[in-house]
Amino acid sequence: MLLKLKLNGQARELAVEPYRSLLDVLRNEAGLTGTKKGCDVGDCGACTVLVDGKPVNSCLMLGVEARGCEVLTIEGLGAPGRLHALQESFVQHGGAQCGFCTPGMVMMAKALLDENPRPTEDEVRFAIAGNICRCTGYTKIVEAILHASDRNQR
Amino acid sequence: MKRFEYFEPATLAEAAGLMHAANAQVLAGGTDLLVEIKEQLRRVERVVNIKRIPEIGGLSYDAREGLRIGALVTAREIEVSPVVQEKYASLAQSARELGSIQVRNRATIVGNVCRASPSADTLPPLIADGAQVRIFGERGERVVALEEFFTGPGRTVLGPGELVTEILVPPPAPRTGKVYIKHGRRKAMELATVGVAVSMTLSRDVRIVLGAVAPTPIRARQAEGLLQGMKLTSELIAKAAEAAEAESRPISNVRASAGYRRDMVRVLTRRALAQAVKCC
Amino acid sequence: MPVIGTSVKRPDVLGKVTGGARYAGDFAPPGMLHAKIKRSTVAHALIKKIDVEKATAYPGVKAVLTHLDVPRVLHYGSPHPRSVSVTRDQYILDRKVRYWGEGVAAVAAASEEIAEEALDLIEVEYDELPAMLSVEQALAPGAPPIHERKDNLVADPVLVRRGDVERGFAEADLVIEGTYEMGRPTPAYMEPNVCVCQWDDEDRLSVWISTQTPFMVRGILAEVLGVPLAKVRVLVDHMGGGFGAKQDLFQTEFLCALLARQTRRPVRLEFTRKETFLGGRSRHPGSVWLRQGFRRDGSITAREARVTFNSGAYGSHGPGVTAVGTTALTSLYRCDNVHLEGRCVYTNTPIAGAYRGYGVVQTYYALDIQMDEAAEKLGVDPAELKLKNAVREGDIAPSGHPIVGHGLEDCIRRGMQEVNWKNRGQSPISTHRKSGSDPIKRGWGMGCEMHGSSAYPGIKEQGNATVRMNEDGTVQLFTGTTGLGTGAHTALAQIVAEELGVRFEDVSVVHGDTDVVPWDIGAFASHTTYMGGRVAQMAAAEVKKKLLGNAAGALEASAGDLEIRHGVISVKGSDRGISVKEAVSPKKGLPSAQLIASATYQPTKSYSFAAHFVEVQVDTETGLIDVLQVIPVHEIGKVIHPVAAAGQIEGGIQQGIGHTLTEDHAVDPATGRSLNAGFVDYKMPLSMDMPPIRTILLETAPDPGGPFGAKGVGEDPIIAIGPAIANAVYAAIGVRFRHYPITPEQVLEGLRGK
Repeated sequence: MLLKLKLNGQARELAVEPYRSLLDVLRNEAGLTGTKKGCDVGDCGACTVLVDGKPVNSCLMLGVEARGCEVLTIEGLGAPGRLHALQESFVQHGGAQCGFCTPGMVMMAKALLDENPRPTEDEVRFAIAGNICRCTGYTKIVEAILHASDRNQR
Repeated sequence: MKRFEYFEPATLAEAAGLMHAANAQVLAGGTDLLVEIKEQLRRVERVVNIKRIPEIGGLSYDAREGLRIGALVTAREIEVSPVVQEKYASLAQSARELGSIQVRNRATIVGNVCRASPSADTLPPLIADGAQVRIFGERGERVVALEEFFTGPGRTVLGPGELVTEILVPPPAPRTGKVYIKHGRRKAMELATVGVAVSMTLSRDVRIVLGAVAPTPIRARQAEGLLQGMKLTSELIAKAAEAAEAESRPISNVRASAGYRRDMVRVLTRRALAQAVKCC
Repeated sequence: MPVIGTSVKRPDVLGKVTGGARYAGDFAPPGMLHAKIKRSTVAHALIKKIDVEKATAYPGVKAVLTHLDVPRVLHYGSPHPRSVSVTRDQYILDRKVRYWGEGVAAVAAASEEIAEEALDLIEVEYDELPAMLSVEQALAPGAPPIHERKDNLVADPVLVRRGDVERGFAEADLVIEGTYEMGRPTPAYMEPNVCVCQWDDEDRLSVWISTQTPFMVRGILAEVLGVPLAKVRVLVDHMGGGFGAKQDLFQTEFLCALLARQTRRPVRLEFTRKETFLGGRSRHPGSVWLRQGFRRDGSITAREARVTFNSGAYGSHGPGVTAVGTTALTSLYRCDNVHLEGRCVYTNTPIAGAYRGYGVVQTYYALDIQMDEAAEKLGVDPAELKLKNAVREGDIAPSGHPIVGHGLEDCIRRGMQEVNWKNRGQSPISTHRKSGSDPIKRGWGMGCEMHGSSAYPGIKEQGNATVRMNEDGTVQLFTGTTGLGTGAHTALAQIVAEELGVRFEDVSVVHGDTDVVPWDIGAFASHTTYMGGRVAQMAAAEVKKKLLGNAAGALEASAGDLEIRHGVISVKGSDRGISVKEAVSPKKGLPSAQLIASATYQPTKSYSFAAHFVEVQVDTETGLIDVLQVIPVHEIGKVIHPVAAAGQIEGGIQQGIGHTLTEDHAVDPATGRSLNAGFVDYKMPLSMDMPPIRTILLETAPDPGGPFGAKGVGEDPIIAIGPAIANAVYAAIGVRFRHYPITPEQVLEGLRGK
């Protein structure tokens, strides 16, 4: 099947099988390996991307379900030299150690700040409840997200 | 995942027709179906994506008719809807505790209902609120009370070629308190070990629905009977909670033992009733 | 301003936040095949028949391997040859299945879907054998041996005797004993195990893999496949966590390499999440029987313990974990008379192996809780009792070396001060007091630990480093240590920069390619900063000597009068100086002499210390336990990167809270089937479950064996947090738990029993 969608701001056409998840399509057919597969069944959030602005587990969507959608992955958020405030903040505050949960975590945080630019700590923890991190204990992730939110307001 | 055929019907009739094939499954939110395919809990040879069907409406509320939840309405929409938060607080709460935000952005309430897991979060509040489901079938449409919709774990009254198109929830009576309490080991991402929903209309009607403690969600009718028309003292609430415990028939599994679940029915029913009284 | 002690920006994190960082599973060479493993559905059996005809014929399948197709070579599952940690008891695939979920065949196919479908076509007939699913069953008289030996002991028992326990107990005013039991937590790193193998036309094998021990992977693959070491290249880019459990060989590396060799195509083999439970490594479940004698004044006269660890179906790190866990009981709280025994037992359950804390999580859980029990019986404060008995300068550590400094005492005192321990429950730091009728109860507890930064003496480790200064003054450190993601490579770069006197930004780290970097035993035992950092410092010091030698002429001074700071070489006490770049740049068209030096370091051991202070809350109606706040105090000699050090501590606490309250990989006691091989029912603390953590780092006992006195920190936090929680629960509700995980049901049972 031909999948037509907007991926990181660019119109793309990808030849995909219907039984491939959006996660696999992103990582294989689209060559964007930034989004990670931690569990493949929606329990860990490592595969979080934004579909039409909403954070979803890309492992729980078929690639073909994204037809006509706007998909934003970590690669579309920012790059060295022009980092998003969240990316900058994660670097500054130790928000990433092994980094495997980081793309999903940052995308979820972006979705949070898009909807709620000045969240409380409780609201941050609630938003990332579906993103598992095994390295940081979440302390510095929460700090990084709160710090990025303050910056957004200036 | 193992390979399957894939269809995107444009009408309900087309979708119903496609469902007759062996091992055909509806794809709405996909948050249960894709897990079942990947973990090989279900043999799926055909996937029917119903999201391109225009007739399946969204979310609407009307003071006379109540709440209409179309087949594609997600848990997240229910969670954040101001009218649901105000008038169906237990349903909003149950949606809020379903999976993660990422899951809720895709999972549908109708899907949660049709999956018919005994521990599904939205079922007890919907039953306590007197919900019904509208079913589309090739031989016509029918409406079934949600309380009568479930026949066993993962089993419903849906026949081959039938699809649920919407859930109808009556408007709340004035002075009604609605509470849902979910029991889990952690504060999020849990499958309920016990779920208790209470809908209490002061001096009139109390409904107590228990989830995860029987093959389907169940009404705790003995407990309800103790409270009907009575003044709600904490002693009476405690007695009702004990009655609810006696009515529950939980199993033991890796999540919790039957004995612990029964204990939690008692504790959470008491807490839910006490909370509901405050909301009336 | 010094480079060390500053939380510099970690260069590796940039790629992690942009998605550019590459992990082994992101690598997809053209023509790559996908491999999957078929797993057993019985716990103990002989394979009577395995039929792969249909699978082999399935369109898209390129190769299928069973035990009949692979070299029958017994290899070390744990990759530490020449050490006591080893067991040599695994075949790549065997005719015998020893646990539910063990791999019995592998398929390589054109896509993952085809590989998955092909697995269903492999037909296996099992001749079931009686399964021993508990240590008791495996040790019962007449129990069939799971491996070709006379019994189900993984190795000879560990025996440690010091002093005279009989006399010690005779002198005691109080004798206290108990049995403490441990469940089965697993590391659950976010990146499932994965490797990609490819052979080239010269029969050289490249392996892209997520492993902590690339040189060990190289060595064992070469040995088992019959290939010279120079023809095996192991590459590790970024890793998504390991926590110790990726210092092993799973069946995957061999199968992947063999499939690649047979098909002449690159092959990727990636675990599903479920397979990380079935095919990965967990912590050793087990029990510790502990008996101690105390004088009325609180000093310990004798300590006796029997440690029994459940190894699962293979030995992996069993001997090492048992030795380290058992000998740890000679220390922490001073006791001259000890008699310790440790055993490791095979059972038909998933394999236990190395995991952060390495046996000490279990034994110190028992020891520290028993100290609290003794304190109660003696009528003294538990923190005071632990302070009194805390190991200190001059005491002989489990490694056989004397302890340096008073780190443990410093941690305890500082923590007591921070939380106003003497007035705990009433002090402002405590969440407000609750009334007696409230079902919610709160309590404070504390737990201590010590842990060594190296695997000495069990393993004689060796670290190597090469430092090279380029002709523009930038520096490259070639290190064999792997990056698990802790930020250790940044710390190494800081150390080199500090030693050389150049800017941190001018140092980069080359790692992760066994063809290029010097040999290293691997990143484990909390020794990356300690060993890897020290040897990097040594190599940097050699380069510095050469550099100063070169610059002396240009500055008309002797090398001894020169110093380097911020990339400038100057004559001490004068304003004469040149930049490092000037000093090394080529002149008159001739390149400068190459400034390069290597160093080797065989460390002994240093010990880090910690005391964790914890407040918990218990809902006495539901039995649910919440950790409200943690104040971890850690003494680590010298803090190289404060944020990275705190990150290790906070992460270790998350894992420890999980161990103690909610994590347990359970198997069905009747069939050995795994019951919760996934994140729904294997419950790790999530963002809303984690308490605020206020980390305190002390540098009061630096160790001369570490770079600038620095010691390790990776494993300490996961050891101290468990007993601190258990002790806090006792303070809250008066119920003593001597096991983990502590479930809500057990809390309610305990309360009913009071």
